[in-house]
Amino acid sequence: MKTIAIIFALAVMAFAPAAFAAEEWGIDGEKKARFEAKVVDIACELSGNCPANCGGGKRQLGLLRDDGRLLLVAKNFDIFAGGTVDLLGFCGQRIVADGLLIKTAKMPLFALQFSRLAPDGKWRRANKFTTEWSSSNGGKEGSQWFRHDARIKNEIAANGVFGIPGLKPSKE
Amino acid sequence: MKRTMMMALMAGLFCLAATAHAAAATSGMTAKRINVTGEIVDTWCYVTEIMYALGTAHHQCAVWCAAGGIPVSILGDDGKVYVVLKLEDDGTNVANPAILKIQTHRVTVNGDLFERDGVKYLFVTQVADDKGVVNLTHAENGIQPFGE
Repeated sequence: MKTIAIIFALAVMAFAPAAFAAEEWGIDGEKKARFEAKVVDIACELSGNCPANCGGGKRQLGLLRDDGRLLLVAKNFDIFAGGTVDLLGFCGQRIVADGLLIKTAKMPLFALQFSRLAPDGKWRRANKFTTEWSSSNGGKEGSQWFRHDARIKNEIAANGVFGIPGLKPSKE
Repeated sequence: MKRTMMMALMAGLFCLAATAHAAAATSGMTAKRINVTGEIVDTWCYVTEIMYALGTAHHQCAVWCAAGGIPVSILGDDGKVYVVLKLEDDGTNVANPAILKIQTHRVTVNGDLFERDGVKYLFVTQVADDKGVVNLTHAENGIQPFGE
């Protein structure tokens, strides 16, 4: 029930008029956070292997804070999507990030909800994934992108919803 | 002839070591070579616990999230979460088709571990074993998160 509530809240907020301030999602350990940081390619930051333009959208991006802490951006404002598409245009630049800092016993994560070029660029909602998905899929509506994505449809067609070929949900 | 080959081999090994050292020096971090056995999971759903996020019950959602570019991890048998940043020769880690195909699989991998600010990042050099999806959780947990 909590899951559906969080997903529903996320979906509603993604299409609501922009307030440009982080929303709570009801996740244990979440805390609203707004801070300046540099957008970095995480693999580059760790290993020294640094392709141009932070990997051009093919690498996980993070936020390097002024105190040296590196934050993994795991989520954006779109349903079932990460933050790379929203951060890529800021590769190597300082931004103001606004979102949820989630601290759990397992690991810390950041969910990006809004961003702007530091110090006073224009605020932008972090929902670029569905916008780009829509434009690269003939203008299809993006809110249910995961049900129409060709890569996903192919994978589920091959291995089923459980990931085991031939194993199907029981009809009740 | 034998001596020449030995010297060439030594020189090659030296170059490899120097390159690895230079990379580590650039980043200021040192990797640790490890083996991990565990399940490929979606990092967001598993870490935040917004839903049941293991095994067959969560497989479809894990594929959605990987395709959407959310980081993929290995939940090790040691209970630790290893964020996968590289898979063998493929250095891409956002919606990587190869990772999409092994979602929820039980694997044994070896690779280089970097730990920073509470996160374990793993550069997988080899998938040594892949048992496929073996964690059958759907009978108890249904299909997450929408039941279909």
